[in-house]
Amino acid sequence: MKPIINIEGLTKDYGNHKGIFDLTFCVEEGEVFGYLGPNGAGKTTTIRHLLGFLTPDKGSSQILGMDTRTRSADIMKYLGYLPGEIAFFDQMTGIEFLKFMGEMRGLNDTKLRDRLIDLFQLDTKSRIRKMSKGMKQKLGLICAFMHDPKVLILDEPTSGLDPLMQKIFAALILEEKSRGKTILMSSHSFEEIERTCDRVGIIKRGELAATENIHDIKQKRRKTYVVTFDNAVTAADFAKSHAFDIVDIKENIVRLSIMGNVTEFIKSLDKYTVLDLDTERSSLEDIFMHYYGDSETDN
Amino acid sequence: MICKPLFKATVKQNFTVFFIILAVLMVYLPIIIIMYDPATQDSLKDVLALLPEGLIAAMGFNNLGTTLTDFIGSYFYGFLILLLPMIYTITVCNRCIASHVDKGSMAYLLSTPNKRTKIAATQALFIITSTTVMIAFIATAGILISNIAFPGELDISAFLLLNLGTLLLYYAVTGIGFFASCFFNDTKNSLVVGAGLPIAFLVIQMISDVGEKVRFLKYFTLFTLFDPEKIIGGESFIPQFITLLIITAIMYGLGIYVFDKRDLPL
Repeated sequence: MKPIINIEGLTKDYGNHKGIFDLTFCVEEGEVFGYLGPNGAGKTTTIRHLLGFLTPDKGSSQILGMDTRTRSADIMKYLGYLPGEIAFFDQMTGIEFLKFMGEMRGLNDTKLRDRLIDLFQLDTKSRIRKMSKGMKQKLGLICAFMHDPKVLILDEPTSGLDPLMQKIFAALILEEKSRGKTILMSSHSFEEIERTCDRVGIIKRGELAATENIHDIKQKRRKTYVVTFDNAVTAADFAKSHAFDIVDIKENIVRLSIMGNVTEFIKSLDKYTVLDLDTERSSLEDIFMHYYGDSETDN
Repeated sequence: MICKPLFKATVKQNFTVFFIILAVLMVYLPIIIIMYDPATQDSLKDVLALLPEGLIAAMGFNNLGTTLTDFIGSYFYGFLILLLPMIYTITVCNRCIASHVDKGSMAYLLSTPNKRTKIAATQALFIITSTTVMIAFIATAGILISNIAFPGELDISAFLLLNLGTLLLYYAVTGIGFFASCFFNDTKNSLVVGAGLPIAFLVIQMISDVGEKVRFLKYFTLFTLFDPEKIIGGESFIPQFITLLIITAIMYGLGIYVFDKRDLPL
């Protein structure tokens, strides 16, 4: 495996502990890399460096072996990019914009573009100014994929998409991956990228907290389950007689947290009447807390 | 070094404002030319004498001269030509770079295999070309209308020289606007400099014309380098033209350089 995207000691200090600091990681060929972090952690700053919009204070980054700042125009031949903030040429219609971007890339083949328009069911005849956020996001995605690039950098690709479109998007990513594409996509939600990513890099306050294989993360991940029993007595009994990590008990509802394997938990429920079983979506903050300890107070 | 699709898109984007400004100019130009009447020149002077001297001087009407060329040079090229196309150039300069950076659409332009220098040079070429086309329209219309209304009265070579001066002045003015557009991250700052400076120059020019006491102000405005009276009179204008060209080259060159080197908040 050779690294397609390579970041070495990348630093951009905006002062006030904003920016990115000594960031080092790489994304290998054929890999889908999830770049995870809360808002303002430095995801977009990293991506701006990869696109060659910023000059780093220290360190460097390469895509396909080319320096991202000095050779960005060469890199762009092989790169598809979805910006985090969607801003187009407002007065154009969707199709005009796609044609324009195709011409800017010197792209003659429109087959893939039309297939993507079909796939995302985008009405390309309406003016971009009148489009909803979801429609604009689809347009941006088509624009990023339509020239069949080797490398894709997607900044918050699923924001604004409805669940159906998110599914279509995930399928598209998996398809591109099977064709050997290298993809880096940022997100602030773990659920969003767990379907598609091989590896996850977690950035916090501009520093890389960890890069982990998605399977390791899933195994180590704590999930909170919410069990509704038939009454408060059974709920209390369940909590007392098992050594689970109970978060709290409210009347007949027990919340407990389990890491990894849930076999024991399912077996233990066998003896009780369970009215409802649910999982709580764990936020990114939870994941941080569970894996890396709470570092909110460490600076 | 030019990105054709971008050039086309920019033409399309700015066609309306170009056309509106040109249309307004094309309304004024014939009116002013037709107003010229050797017989009534004296009565016109009488009317102007009723107005405060300072006001007339500020508008550049102080020397109406005797020929048609002097008349157009003073009436049209003294003030209107400094104001109307400037509205166009200010708008276009700001739109070409700063507004794309401000809105974020520059991110799309730069995610295509085109260097920053190429994008900026394309936009610069558009500004220069469209300004040239606008002045060329005015020059052609001026000659045509003059020859229809007053055959043989217009000193064509002096008139063309006048338009060349106008064009060079506009190259320098757009150079400032283009540089500001390349330098700043947002439309607001780009306009403060790119529009503020030319407007300030124009105002200073108007004030400096009012009287001897404020004459020194002419050293603080670029517009001093364009003096219709001197150009028509055949007095020295070549050093001024060369200075304008140098300013143009420096401002455009610097704009492209700065845009290539700086951090973009996209």
